[in-house]
Amino acid sequence: MAKYDDLKFPYCEEETKYEKLLKIGQGTFGEVFKAKDRKNRSKLVAMKKVLMENEKEGFPITALREIKILQLLKHENVVNLIEICRTKASPYNRYKSTFYLIFEFCEHDLAGLLSNINVKFKLSEIKKVMSQLLNGLYFIHSNKILHRDMKAANILITKNGVLKLADFGLARAFSLPKHGQSNRYTNRVVTLWYRPPELLLGERNYGPAIDLWGAGCIMAEMWTRSPIMQGNTEQHQLQLISQLCGSITSDVWPGVDKLDLYEKLELPKGQKRKVKERLKAYVKDTTALELLDKLLALNPSKRLDSDTALNHDFFWVSPEPEDLTPMLSRHTTSMFEYLAPPRRRGQQPPPPKPAPNNDHHFERIF
Amino acid sequence: MTDTETKVHFRVVRFMQEAGLKLHMKSVPLATAAVIYHKFFRGNALTDYDPYLIGTTALYLGSKIEEEAVKLRDVVNICHRTLHKSKPPLEIGETFWNLRETVASCELFILRALRFKVVVVHPHKFLLHYLKFLQDWFDPVEWERLPIAKTSWSLLRDSYHGIICLNTKPQHMAVAVIYFALLCHGAEVPCHKEADTKWWKVFCDDININIIETIISELMNMYDTEIYVQTS
Repeated sequence: MAKYDDLKFPYCEEETKYEKLLKIGQGTFGEVFKAKDRKNRSKLVAMKKVLMENEKEGFPITALREIKILQLLKHENVVNLIEICRTKASPYNRYKSTFYLIFEFCEHDLAGLLSNINVKFKLSEIKKVMSQLLNGLYFIHSNKILHRDMKAANILITKNGVLKLADFGLARAFSLPKHGQSNRYTNRVVTLWYRPPELLLGERNYGPAIDLWGAGCIMAEMWTRSPIMQGNTEQHQLQLISQLCGSITSDVWPGVDKLDLYEKLELPKGQKRKVKERLKAYVKDTTALELLDKLLALNPSKRLDSDTALNHDFFWVSPEPEDLTPMLSRHTTSMFEYLAPPRRRGQQPPPPKPAPNNDHHFERIF
Repeated sequence: MTDTETKVHFRVVRFMQEAGLKLHMKSVPLATAAVIYHKFFRGNALTDYDPYLIGTTALYLGSKIEEEAVKLRDVVNICHRTLHKSKPPLEIGETFWNLRETVASCELFILRALRFKVVVVHPHKFLLHYLKFLQDWFDPVEWERLPIAKTSWSLLRDSYHGIICLNTKPQHMAVAVIYFALLCHGAEVPCHKEADTKWWKVFCDDININIIETIISELMNMYDTEIYVQTS
């Protein structure tokens, strides 16, 4: 192998062009580091490692999807992929390179900001956060992409107050069902606490509405400061949803009884919808409550889409959305959920279960 | 590109399409695979790489990119079988595992060589769209009688044997194969002569008859290559 050491491959730069400063994230996907460009020391980036271990099917299709999607989605409110780097193959890694996705660095994530009691959002600032979030969703949905992992930790905010949707590791392209032929996407997506009722009930023919449910949960969290429904299991999550949004019945959601798990899971009966009532304790603004109520609609076809949500009075009555920069400038240290005090990190939601890997059934038959 | 190179690429793409069909790959993943293959050799010398390995890997990568992933195991088996028709099928053993490992490594290499820019916009969706329009323009009996759709689809599939796909706007390609198909069947779009705006202009604003003719002459060159490939 020695003679290959001198070969030069100009196509994809080495990760050593960046200097790792700090680990800022850890998830099922792998690690994320904050780093800076060695040549241009003021340029900060986030490096996301592509997990390649035990990959029998070559470069992971999920990583390929994420790269493809990020190359397609260039928008102010979507995290910007700069390039892809690699480690040099050497005897230490058995001549197998590791790849890194290099992103523009964002100083904060929303989960980190919300867990810091010193960070206070005014109503006008919450409006700015939500309008950017919905703008980002509007953009990705009109490009026929579903995010499928909306949660506060995946919402990044730069020190200039620009919000970026991040982590497209679970994202995929969707198409509108045609000629009665429904889509069959995996429903094992979205972190449990932000998972909409249709996914919990086994729907596989879902659409953009799944991300809007997450947007609703995040919006409520802007006031409650912690996730509003922290279930331990799918069953528990559905209970919490029923307690907040009312019983899941075919009256409020025609056709729900046809979903795979509707009969199999226990759904609380006779629950009244209390979205506005329960959130009133935190959210004083009535237009905000109205918008929340419409985002947290049980029936996905009744849930607001991002365009309609952006036209909601909430964004158009006084106080108007206000730039976040002055508020953020009072907080000069970076805030990420991963770096937040363990008190909060102790209560991580269970991540989405990876789809069962039946593909490799026949791989090793001996 | 030399004649020899053109011929090699023609043969490899034919091999890819044969293996791709056996793998039940659809038109778009196959087209993506061909584009990956041609893009790779636009930047790299044919003498430096085994084109059949690049072709095999491009098939695998194309299937993944278009969300119609086939299994690496199947790709290795089928491509080996397609390439060595007289040999017995591949047994599970060292050769199999080595080939598998080779394709997996080559996949990373191609991704790097293409700088991970693997999203391709193909003419297929435009072609379908245009054909749907034409169908409504034609007399239904006439449309039924003429295999315009079938011929233009085949022309498009064949076009990937050469590098036309790298230099042609997908909309233009779609118009050109329809134009060519109409020529082949001696058909004409109804009221074409009387129309102020020609039908291709209706589909695609920035196309003109010269562009169409250039594409068609490239397609005809490609079919000439086929004759050489088969006789040599």
